[in-house]
Amino acid sequence: MIIALATNENNLNATIDPHFGRCNWYCLYDTETHKNSFIENPARNNQAQAGCDAAELLLGENIRLAIAGRFGLKVVDVFRKNNIQMVIPETQQTLSEIINHIK
Amino acid sequence: MGRTKKDRKIQMAPHFFGFKPQGVQCKTGEDVCINFEEYEAINLCDYELLTQAEAAKLMNISRPTFTRIYESVRRKIAKAFIEGSSINFEGGNVAFADWYKCNQCKITFTLPVNAEKCCPFCKTQVIIENN
Repeated sequence: MIIALATNENNLNATIDPHFGRCNWYCLYDTETHKNSFIENPARNNQAQAGCDAAELLLGENIRLAIAGRFGLKVVDVFRKNNIQMVIPETQQTLSEIINHIK
Repeated sequence: MGRTKKDRKIQMAPHFFGFKPQGVQCKTGEDVCINFEEYEAINLCDYELLTQAEAAKLMNISRPTFTRIYESVRRKIAKAFIEGSSINFEGGNVAFADWYKCNQCKITFTLPVNAEKCCPFCKTQVIIENN
């Protein structure tokens, strides 16, 4: 299963970004191979529809679960339609903490 | 001690943080805080044009409680308009519809269709549904 984590920096010590569509990077983590990679968010400075464009990009990467501080209205619609699980952590955690938690 | 407030169910929080008046050089009055249940009340009643009874049912509260929340938000908006103060959206006793909580992992999450009802991280089945 591939998990997408929204973050503002491309290292594992970064924290989860408070907004899904406007974050700088997405960390893709594969729970089977335990490998992670970072992809830049091309839509982060869009005037509108940033979340939708980012969601399309991540759907192309075959994610099943997305983690961010907050999901916009349209993103929730897109993800619900495509049956993708969304997770919002209530406490401030770094990427490595969350990935260790999932393992 | 007063009775603690029940959580009001809301469909979606606002995607921006509030409003501020145009052309005001310095702050005139105090900011007005509108909490999320009040935002949802005005959304259901005046934007989606439901009756108060229908809206109350959606928010899982009684009709009189809904009327009280609705009246409070109308007064707050009027105060902000007249006094030229900014409006902030914050706080409130709310729970989001169709979202679930795991107290152990301290996360809020959705469930995919036809999936088992368990936490995606610790796989415990002890999860709280926001209804």
